[in-house]
Amino acid sequence: MKLTALGLYGAAEAFSIGHLRTGREGYGRTATFLLLLGFLVHFLALEVGGRSAGTVPYQNLPGSLSLFAWMLAAAYGILFLRHREGSTGPFLIPLVILFMAGSLIVHSSQAPHAPPDPMRSGSLFAMHVTLAILGYAGLTLSFVLAQMYLLQTRQLHKHKLGLLFSRLPALDVLSRMHRTSVAMGVLALAVASCLGMFWAKRNWGTYWDPKVAFTFLLILVYVFTLIAPRLGWGGKKIAWTSIAGFVLLMFSYSIVNLFITVGHVFR
Amino acid sequence: MSGSSESPLLLVGWDFRQTPVELRERLAFSPEKVREALAALRQEGLLAEGVIISTCNRSEVYGLSGPGLDGRDPLEAVTEFIAHFHGIPKPEVDASGYKHFGADAVRHLLRVAAGLESLALGEDQILGQVREAFRIASAAGSTKSVLHRLFQKAVETGKRVRSETGLSSRPISIPGVAIELAQKIYEDLSPRHFLILGAGETSGIFFDLLLARGAKNIEVVNRTLEKAEELCKRGGKAVPWDQLESRLARADIVVSATSSDTPVITREAAKVALHQRRGQPLFFLDLGIPRNVDPKVGDLDNAFLYAVDDLQEIAERNRQERQKEVGPALEILEEELEEFLAWFGALAVVPTITSLRQRFESVREAEFDREIEKMVHLSERDQEKIRRIASSMVRSLLKTPTEALKDEPDASRRLDRAEAARHLFGLDRPPKD
Repeated sequence: MKLTALGLYGAAEAFSIGHLRTGREGYGRTATFLLLLGFLVHFLALEVGGRSAGTVPYQNLPGSLSLFAWMLAAAYGILFLRHREGSTGPFLIPLVILFMAGSLIVHSSQAPHAPPDPMRSGSLFAMHVTLAILGYAGLTLSFVLAQMYLLQTRQLHKHKLGLLFSRLPALDVLSRMHRTSVAMGVLALAVASCLGMFWAKRNWGTYWDPKVAFTFLLILVYVFTLIAPRLGWGGKKIAWTSIAGFVLLMFSYSIVNLFITVGHVFR
Repeated sequence: MSGSSESPLLLVGWDFRQTPVELRERLAFSPEKVREALAALRQEGLLAEGVIISTCNRSEVYGLSGPGLDGRDPLEAVTEFIAHFHGIPKPEVDASGYKHFGADAVRHLLRVAAGLESLALGEDQILGQVREAFRIASAAGSTKSVLHRLFQKAVETGKRVRSETGLSSRPISIPGVAIELAQKIYEDLSPRHFLILGAGETSGIFFDLLLARGAKNIEVVNRTLEKAEELCKRGGKAVPWDQLESRLARADIVVSATSSDTPVITREAAKVALHQRRGQPLFFLDLGIPRNVDPKVGDLDNAFLYAVDDLQEIAERNRQERQKEVGPALEILEEELEEFLAWFGALAVVPTITSLRQRFESVREAEFDREIEKMVHLSERDQEKIRRIASSMVRSLLKTPTEALKDEPDASRRLDRAEAARHLFGLDRPPKD
C-alpha cells in the first residue's frame, strides 16, 4: 500500500511538473487529484500499520519517516486550500516522495522491530509525537517556500525571466504562504511540546529534557519570522532567518536526538 | 470537403498584411453597419447566413452562399456588394484582400480566433472580437446552424490554443511586460499604490492601463502641476513635484516617464523610501530616455528596477517564445478543423441522401428476410414480386424527401433539412438489429 502511495505521489509530481512547464490546467487538476489519492492510500497504510502496532506508527524510523511524509502532504494540502496556489507543488511534493521512499528503503533494510514500548503507547504520547511531526512538516515546507522566495527575488533582480519565473507565484503570495506554513508549524510544535512536557512530568518525574530547550529556541526563531515584518524586516531577511531556523531544526532532529537526549531516539 | 467553389461556405476579407490602412479604414464596419450589411446580403439572396468581423486590423465577411446568386460566383458577388456598400470602386477592393471557399475559409477563421493572424501573434483581444461579431450576427438573425457551429468551434479553438500552448502566455508589448513584472511582486495590483512621474504621452498610456486594470490608488507627480491635474481628471490624484520624495515611501510601484536629463530618483532617495517602507518591496519602471532612476537603485534590497531597454528585451524574447508555439497551435487547429469538416461534410446533401437510402434499404431487407421465411406457401416468383413491391415502396417514400433536400436553392435551409433528416432517422448512429 505504501508503494502505491509512493507511485501516486510520483505521478502527482510528474503532472505538477507538466503543469509548471506547459501551464495546462488539466495537468494541475490531475496532479491535485493524484496527490489526494496518494494521501488517502498513505493514510490507509498508516492506519493498517498503526493497528498492527497498537499505536501511531512512530516508534521506529520507517514509521516516523512515513508519518512525516504524510504530514508533509497534509501540510501542503492545508497550504493549497488556504492560498489556492498549485504552482508550488513541483517544489514541495518531492519532499513527500523523498521521505516516503526513505521510509520504504529503511523498512526493507531493517530487521523486524521490537514490540512497542507500552509506556510510550498512550494517547497523550501519540498526540505529542503526531503534532511534533506535523510541526516539523510545516516548518520544512516553510524552508522550501523561503528558498522559492529567494529564487524569485534573485530572478527579478537579475532580470532572468525564464519559464520558472513566469510559473512561480508573486513575492507577496510566497510571503503569505511562508507565514501560513510557519504559523502551522509553530502552533503544532508548541502544543506538542506542552503535551510532551506534561507526559515527561508524569512518566519521568521532570519537565526537563535537552530537547525542550532546542525546541523552544526553534519556536523563538520562527515566531520572530512572523513578527519581523512589523520590525521593518524585508522578505529576503525573513527568508534567510527561516532557512537558519531549518538548519536548527535539522540539528535538533538529528544531533540532539541521537547524542544529546535519550528520550527522543528512534530505534 | 476542400476549398473548392462547390462548398457554400465562403470568406471575403481584407487585413493588415495585404490591405493598406487607408483602404482598411474605408472597409471597416461599425456594429450598425454590420447589421445593415448582413440584412442587405440576405435580402439580396447573396448569403443565407453571414457574420462580419471588423477590427482595426481586418474586415472579414463569412457566409453561406444564398439562393439569389443566379449563377454568379458567390465570392465575386459578395466582394461587389461590399465595394458598393462602402462606395469604393470594385477594382480597388479587388486589388488587395483574400477570398476563400470551404475548408480554407474555416481554417482562416480558426487561425484568426487563435491569434495566428494577428499583428501581435497570439494576442487575446481578437477572441473577444470574434465572439462579439458572432453575437451581433446572431442577434440580427443572420446565423443558423452552420455559422453557429462554425463560430462556436472558432471560439473553442481560440480558447484551446491559449490554454494548451504558450502562444499567448507571455506578454509582447512594453505595457504588458511591465504589468506582468509588477504582478510577480504584488499579485493583485488593484489595491496597490502607484506613483507616476511625468504627465506626458507615455505616462498617459500607463495611467489609462492602470485604471483599466482596476488600480484605485494612483498619484501623478509632475513639475507642472496643471498637466498632472489634467491627466487626473480621469481618476487619481495630482501631486506637486516637491512632494516626490515623501510620496515615494508610500508607493508600491513607481512608473517614471519624465523628460529630465538627470535622474529624478537617486539611490539615496530610494534608500530612504525603502527604509520607511519597512521591508516592503518597491518596483521601479523607468520609461524615461535618458533614464530617470539611478541604475544603482536596482542594487538595493527590496528594490526592483526595470528600464525601457529591459522591457524591450523581454518583449522581444517573449515574441520569439511565442513563435515557437505556432507549431503546437497549428496541430490543435487542424484537429478542430477536421472535427468541424466531418460534421459539415455529413450535412452535405449527397451523403445524407445516400445514408437515407441505405437506412431504408437495410430496414426493408431485414423486414423482408424475416417475414418471407415464414411464408413457405409462396413460390419463388411470388417472393420476387413482393420484393419488387417493397423496393418500389421505399423509392416512393424517399422521393419527396430526396427532392426536398436536392432542390432547395437556399444552402442554409438545405443544410438545415439535411441535419433534420440525419437526426430524425438516426443516420449518424449504427442501425438497430
